[in-house]
Amino acid sequence: MGLGAIGPGIGLGIAVSKAMEALGRNPEAAGAIFVPYILGIALAEAIGIYALVVSLLLIFVA
Amino acid sequence: MPEEEGESLIHVAIEAEELFQLGPLSFTNSMVGALLTSLLLGLAAWYITRRSSLVPGRLQSAFELPVELMSGIVSASSSRWRGYVGLILGFFLTILVANWIGLLPGVGTIGITHIDASGHEAVIPIVRPASADLNFTLGLALVAFVMFVYWGIKANGPGGYLKELLGEPLYMAPLMFPINLISEFSRLISLSMRLFGNVFAGEVLLATMIALAPILIPAVFLGLEVLFGFVQALVFALLAMTYIATANAEHHTTDHGEADAAGADHPTAAEPAHA
Repeated sequence: MGLGAIGPGIGLGIAVSKAMEALGRNPEAAGAIFVPYILGIALAEAIGIYALVVSLLLIFVA
Repeated sequence: MPEEEGESLIHVAIEAEELFQLGPLSFTNSMVGALLTSLLLGLAAWYITRRSSLVPGRLQSAFELPVELMSGIVSASSSRWRGYVGLILGFFLTILVANWIGLLPGVGTIGITHIDASGHEAVIPIVRPASADLNFTLGLALVAFVMFVYWGIKANGPGGYLKELLGEPLYMAPLMFPINLISEFSRLISLSMRLFGNVFAGEVLLATMIALAPILIPAVFLGLEVLFGFVQALVFALLAMTYIATANAEHHTTDHGEADAAGADHPTAAEPAHA
C-alpha cells in the first residue's frame, strides 16, 4: 500500500500543480479546466485505490 | 489484524454482513443502505415535484442545484447529451446519497449483537452504506458499461463499433483488438473498484480515528468524508459521461477532436519555456 501510494502521490501533485498554474494564468478558464481536472485526478487516484483494495484483500481475505 | 488489541474497538468487515435469510437470498445490511438510498431519493423527488412551481422556492432551488450542475456539465460533453443526461444524473444522485448515508450517526454502530464463529461477541450493523459494498458499485458500473457499449453501437452501427475495436490500420488488428477489448473491460473494473475502495477506505479511516481519538478529532475526518463522498459521486458520473460521450462520437468527429486537442497543447507546452 505504501509503495502503491508513491506513484499516484507524485501524479496527483503534478496534476494539481499544473491545474493551479493554469488557473493562475487564466482564471476565466476555471469551468473548462474543472471536468478534465477531476477526470485526470480520478484516473491517477485509481492506481492508489488498486493498491488499497489489494492490501485490504490481503488483510481480510487471505 | 484479527489478533491485534485494537480489534474490539475497530469493527470493519470487507463484505456486507447478513441480517436474515430471505428464502434462498441472504438479506445483507448494505441492502438496507441501498433501500434507504432509493427510498430517500424517491421521497425527495415525489415531494419536490408535487409542489414545484416555475419560480422555485428555497427548498426547490436547493434540490435543483445538483440537477443544474450536472446537466450543465453533461450538455457540454456531446451534441446528443439529452439521451443520457438522466442516466448520469441518476448515477450522481444515487452515489451521493449512498455515500452520505454512511456518515449519519448510528449507521455503523447500531446493530444486532451475536456470537461469531470464534466465540467473540460481535455487532452486525443494521445499515451499511450501499457504496461500501462491491456488489452495489459493480452493479452501477455494469449499467454504465452496458450503456456505453449501447451508445457506441447506436452511434456507429455494430460494424462501426467493431471497427473501432479493431484499431486504425487493419493489419494491426491482431495486436490492437485484445488491447482494446481489455481496455473496455478494465473500465468496468476500475469504475467499481474506485468507488468501493474510496468509500470503504473512508469507513476504515473513520473507524480507526474513532478508536484512536474518540473526541473531536473524528469530526475533522467526517467533514473530509462529506467532501470525498461528493467528489466520488461526481467522478463516477463524469467518467461514465466521458465513456458514453466518446463512444457516442462518430469516428470522423473523434479524429477532429484529437487534432484540436493536439493543436491546443502546443501553446501551453511552449509557454513554460518562455517563462
